[in-house]
Amino acid sequence: MNRQNRVQYLISLLVSVVLALLVGALIMAATGHNPIDGYAALISGAFGDLSKKFLNRNLANTLYKTGQLCITGLATAVAAQAGIFNVGGEGQMYLGALASAYVGARLVGVSPVIALPLCFLAAILSGALYALIPAVLKVKLKINEVITTILMNSIAIYFCTYMANGPLKTAEKGITQGTDAVDSAFRFSKLVAGSNLTDSIFCIAVIALIVWYVMSRTTTGFQMKLTGQNERFARFSGIKAGKLAIVSMLVSGAMCGLLGMFETFGLQGRFKPDFSNEFYFDGMLVAMIMRYKPMGIILMSFFFGILKMGAVTMQSKTGISSELILIVQSIIIFFMAAEEGIVASLRARRVRKVPTAGKEADS
Amino acid sequence: MDWSSVLNLSTLLNTVNTATIVILAGLGCLMTDQAGMMNIGIDGMMVAGAFAAVMGSWLCGSWVMGVVFALVVGLIFGLFYGVFVIKFKSDEFIIGVALNIFAAALTTFLLRCFPGQSGSFHPATGTIVKLPSLDFGVIGGTQVSLSVMVPIAWVLVAVCWVMIYRTPLGFWLHASGEHPESLRSVGRSPERMKYLGALLCGMFCGLSGAYLSLGYLSTFTENMSASRGYVAVACVIFGRANPPLVFLAALLFAFIDAAGTRMQGFIDPQLTATFPYIGTILMMLLLALRDQWKKRAMARS
Repeated sequence: MNRQNRVQYLISLLVSVVLALLVGALIMAATGHNPIDGYAALISGAFGDLSKKFLNRNLANTLYKTGQLCITGLATAVAAQAGIFNVGGEGQMYLGALASAYVGARLVGVSPVIALPLCFLAAILSGALYALIPAVLKVKLKINEVITTILMNSIAIYFCTYMANGPLKTAEKGITQGTDAVDSAFRFSKLVAGSNLTDSIFCIAVIALIVWYVMSRTTTGFQMKLTGQNERFARFSGIKAGKLAIVSMLVSGAMCGLLGMFETFGLQGRFKPDFSNEFYFDGMLVAMIMRYKPMGIILMSFFFGILKMGAVTMQSKTGISSELILIVQSIIIFFMAAEEGIVASLRARRVRKVPTAGKEADS
Repeated sequence: MDWSSVLNLSTLLNTVNTATIVILAGLGCLMTDQAGMMNIGIDGMMVAGAFAAVMGSWLCGSWVMGVVFALVVGLIFGLFYGVFVIKFKSDEFIIGVALNIFAAALTTFLLRCFPGQSGSFHPATGTIVKLPSLDFGVIGGTQVSLSVMVPIAWVLVAVCWVMIYRTPLGFWLHASGEHPESLRSVGRSPERMKYLGALLCGMFCGLSGAYLSLGYLSTFTENMSASRGYVAVACVIFGRANPPLVFLAALLFAFIDAAGTRMQGFIDPQLTATFPYIGTILMMLLLALRDQWKKRAMARS
């Protein structure tokens, strides 16, 4: 992307975000709420009282959400840059969570130095292998990966729910559905009391940096981009496009699996089938808005972390459903996806207004 | 396992009922497919239609108004899809996926605007009028009744087939996707044909949604389509956008679904719920394998 394009892109992004937030305000007003109260509740929910304590509970939760969006957004981007669209992160996350929780519960009492890497391995392998199926189907047989991955989400979620209610159900009393608890020594510790922010955020930061580096600073990243943009051209320049797409999908699945582990080992300490509320789709939307640019996704994750976490407070304070933020997010995508077309049609109109250029624009 | 409890008349009835959701959505999807557009947003259009149908039926106290509401909302979503994909030349996949998320979020949001309503819609006053059903009395100990939408969907399959393969309109629709320039050279606008495809798609998805919330069930539930829109897309790929073949694919999917539900006595319901999705993926796999095998055979000869 050259400089002029980048400036135009940033302007479009800004305009889209502002317009989408305005639409959100209109929806609030139309449903009988005060938009200013709504957004004020959102901001206070996302940041808390910074003057009292800087890293307070609210800000910590916003950072937790940011990390989550980073991983899911980058997972989408890794695959999408290589031309394969992973909509199945939710399922990969469920399997990663279940597999790592199972290993963590079986290895109770073992030293964390041995057990934790095994838990990581379980999360990575289960996520990656589940992503391998649609990747191979896509590369070898040209089966549409959007459909296979989304259907595999349902399969994985039903399967994990079955496991947590059936064969792997804990014998502990008071737990209606869930597996055995993992050893507390394996669990991530809370950074801010009462929040969801755990030290897994450092793992997330490292993963995000590695992904950013590989995607935008290495030959592999460049080859991925080439494959995604024009597979034929990439193949003619000697890139093994199919292999690259499969590897990207494996990495994407592994990241989702890991996030599943971070969630279970950080919060509940055991696998529970209701641990995720379609987390993956939130990050996928961020990646789509930022056109799969890694640094953009990392930065934008914070913005959407604010919106997402703030929306929870907005809902409890003003009664405006937090789904509103999802609507705002999808509207930003509509604007960004249509950006080139809208800009082009605006330009055409401007040309038509100039009398000398009237002839060529006449169509 | 006792097969007579799995394969019986009521399984057949369930098959026909469930298939109707996918058949109608599939007809919508194949209209855009014929016009050279891949519409992943079927699921969202269905959810929006289902919500509109319940609202129309509840507000006006008549199922006809429910269907009208669903059709209008379907048309709006179809137009929306068309403007973005045809006019602004946006990426079809991105628009489709965003449309699904948008529709799910919007309907959930609107549902929660009613005091005390979340999860599903249960109004305190007034009733949701269901689509009328055709009663055939009791046959072999099973009460046989079908929603009026079931035969309508079957007739629509035939109508769509005639329209696509036996009328100039269908020919132009197909040409707008395959050879837009040749269509333009005979004085027809491919864009207009593509818009027609998108609008028809929205209408059929709206109808599918109306059946989902007023025939198959009798209320609106959050995310009630349960990814069946994606199954419809898979059926269209499997049936190569040919209405009768899409119809058969939908029946096959629905049969797996219905038989799975019947097996709940022997297998955990969480597991039987995965059968239709696994079946759909296997269906796509078999088709792709057959294609590859054919290609190899062609290359050999």
